[in-house]
Amino acid sequence: MRRAAVLLIPVLLVSCSRSPAGCSGDFCGTVVFAAIGQPSTLLPPLGEALERDIHDQIFLKLADIGPDGNTIGDKGFEPQLADRWGWTDSLTLAFHLNPKARWQDGPPVTAGDVAFTFRAFSDSEIGSNYRENLSRIASVTAQDSATAVFHFRTRYPEMFYDAAYQLRILPQHLLDSLPYPRWRGSAFGRAPVGDGPYRFVSWTPDQSLELAADSTFFLGRPHIRRLIWRFAADPQTAIAQVIAGEADAIEVLLSPPNIDRAKKTAHLTVYPYAGSAYTFLDFNLHARGGSGPHPVFSDVAVRRALILATDRERMVTNVWGTAAKVPPAPIPQAWKALWFNDLPIPAFDTTRAKHMLDSAGWRDTGHTGVRQKGSRKLAFSIRVPSTSAARKQYAQLIQEQLRRIGVQVTIEESDNPTFQQKYHAGDYDAAIQTYVNDPTPSSGVPQTWRSTGDDNAGHYSDPAFDHQLDLATHAPTPDDALRAWKAAFVIFAADAPAMMLNAPDNVAAVDKRITNVRIRPDSYWAYLWTWRIPADRLIDRDRLER
Amino acid sequence: MTLWLVRRVLAAIAIVFAVVTLIFFAIHAAPGTPFLPGGDRHLDPVLVASLRARFGLDQPLPMQFAHYLSALVRGDMGESFRLQLPVKDALAAAIPNTVLLAAAALTIDFLLGIVIGAWQAARAREGSDAALTAVMLFGYSLPTFWLGLVLLLLLGDWIHLFPIGGAIDPVFHGSMSLGGRVLDRLRHLALPALTLGLVGAAGTARFQRAAMLNALERAFVRTARAKGLAEPVVLIRHALSNALLPTITLLGLALPFLLTGSVVVETVFAWPGMGKLAADAIASRDYPMVMATALVASIMVVIGNLFADLLYAAADPRVRPT
Repeated sequence: MRRAAVLLIPVLLVSCSRSPAGCSGDFCGTVVFAAIGQPSTLLPPLGEALERDIHDQIFLKLADIGPDGNTIGDKGFEPQLADRWGWTDSLTLAFHLNPKARWQDGPPVTAGDVAFTFRAFSDSEIGSNYRENLSRIASVTAQDSATAVFHFRTRYPEMFYDAAYQLRILPQHLLDSLPYPRWRGSAFGRAPVGDGPYRFVSWTPDQSLELAADSTFFLGRPHIRRLIWRFAADPQTAIAQVIAGEADAIEVLLSPPNIDRAKKTAHLTVYPYAGSAYTFLDFNLHARGGSGPHPVFSDVAVRRALILATDRERMVTNVWGTAAKVPPAPIPQAWKALWFNDLPIPAFDTTRAKHMLDSAGWRDTGHTGVRQKGSRKLAFSIRVPSTSAARKQYAQLIQEQLRRIGVQVTIEESDNPTFQQKYHAGDYDAAIQTYVNDPTPSSGVPQTWRSTGDDNAGHYSDPAFDHQLDLATHAPTPDDALRAWKAAFVIFAADAPAMMLNAPDNVAAVDKRITNVRIRPDSYWAYLWTWRIPADRLIDRDRLER
Repeated sequence: MTLWLVRRVLAAIAIVFAVVTLIFFAIHAAPGTPFLPGGDRHLDPVLVASLRARFGLDQPLPMQFAHYLSALVRGDMGESFRLQLPVKDALAAAIPNTVLLAAAALTIDFLLGIVIGAWQAARAREGSDAALTAVMLFGYSLPTFWLGLVLLLLLGDWIHLFPIGGAIDPVFHGSMSLGGRVLDRLRHLALPALTLGLVGAAGTARFQRAAMLNALERAFVRTARAKGLAEPVVLIRHALSNALLPTITLLGLALPFLLTGSVVVETVFAWPGMGKLAADAIASRDYPMVMATALVASIMVVIGNLFADLLYAAADPRVRPT
């Protein structure tokens, strides 16, 4: 028995040895992605961030935004399913489909598929996250099998963007018979058939997902032959896999120490790209959980004083090093055109902050170290999700800085679902929130800061600001839009409904053997099908035949 | 014996029902709610409301519980909010991985714990015993997540002895021979099983040392020595075989420890088992999945204890139920 066990070991070792098989040349290559989290479905209307990274390899849009990220008009947009387009009148846009476009099971992609997709994305029974972004499109019809016509309800600068970017076209012939309520959890969502550069191969929940290049892809054969996503719940595990060479790429390294580690790893190249998130300290202008004015934050002078009393530049350096900036307005770094550096943002000045609080009637009359007005102490709490180390660090830094001017801050930590529930219910004094945004400010800014916005948890309301938002989102030209955005942000700075804390740059890490790597802020792996691994850099996993 | 078994099974069902009831009301009473965006996307209140209605979360809690129980009786555990999958499908994929991890960890735990504990008892009050006692106490007090991270860093990241995370190599596993696949599994199993097993072994060793010391003072050991038997025979055949009885009880107690430990360890090592499923479900308030993992875990613990009792009864006729 013992002898048998001893004999088994070399047998196991030999049988586990990897024999590099035959693929050579320009169309080999396997890229393994270390992914944080895992997708729930690959049906585009129901997907979120990670799903989008993956299903964008399987499903195409009509056209995609270009490297400059423009979303106004059709400037810079690159053809995908549609090879050309044109306006019939000011409210009617026709897309002409590329006749070579095919579903991976054979049939051609038709205008009927486009109309079907629009109906599905817009239907409340499906519950797509993109539904709201399509609300200004009245209908989509098939003029003929190769011409899809979009009919808009109103004119606005991002009509083309909404039509082209929001929809990943779906195969009507495979989904038509599936009732909408059964799309969630459907078999198609776990083994989809698309029209993109990669075909679905396999998905083992909680472990990995594999796609294979479609060698007949009509826009050009992808150079990387296999894509594999490895799922890890813990970000540090995912990063360790890339550092150890068990995975080839990760889209965000998350923190300066991780970025430094990746830079020191010989087989990795780091790729900085503009981030699409920003973080802010939101002041609740209503009493916590109620509708009356907040005893502290309803006074704009107090809000301005608190902003003046915090050294946001130093905080961003402490937490992020050089990997983030303090945004002048509610904008991520990806919206470069809106990064106005001449907005009237007051510099860090505790003397002025103290004076403003004195003038507003908040004084340390009892010499307790905490200011008060009548019997009310100048005290509030900051809510943070316990899962975010950066936000917890920010809360502590703000707490300490405000203590120095006589403001008592307590920190309330909770897990993320609790944090989000309390935040959206207005059950907080102040909260540190982060939003990841679309390529355009036209959806995210009104949703969060407009008086009627669904995400306006802090109840900020200024008709002048709302008016400028309307002008910006309906401006006929990019210049008009920029002017209106700037005017809106000037009002925002004066109203001080929130303290802008940071807008990080993202840094991806990709194995050095992979070339032609380009990363787009809104869709990290959008250009994946153009990446390549030169024949002389192939390793075992690139050559492996299956 | 049959009556005893029936009584134990009925008690087990009552315990599982109590656990399910408690977890159902606790998770629904906990702050936080499903379907709210995690902050990376904006809130669509219409979408959230329609999803809540679709899964019956807009109904009174007692009615939700009644629906849950009636579905459970029919074998329907519901659909995972997060995975958009029938819960039983997700569990079917995860349970074998958790059982494999628990079995490997238990093997490390008991083999190592029994050997070290017995070795210490044989050298009781010597310097090596004192040193090992200190090491075992240190090991027993280690949090599993910390040990997991240290092992991951040391054996995975620095030495590259074992892979970092996952249950298989997603690139090569499919093209390996059967032996290769087994070895690939074992390589991926090593770090999570070691993490759970080492912490458990430290506790088992403490327990085994005490039981062995107790056995060594008994008359039958003195008799064996007086008969002139070799010391290893006395220690192993006479003392250790008797000192193993109390350790069997630990087997039943180790299962809850392993299941709770696996929640953290499976997350750290991306091991696709029930613990990771439970952790992800709790973090996203995926009620059906939380309920299902709690249900399965409680059933496993109850069965584990029943098994330990049966084993104990088989080993010691004095405690055998009549």
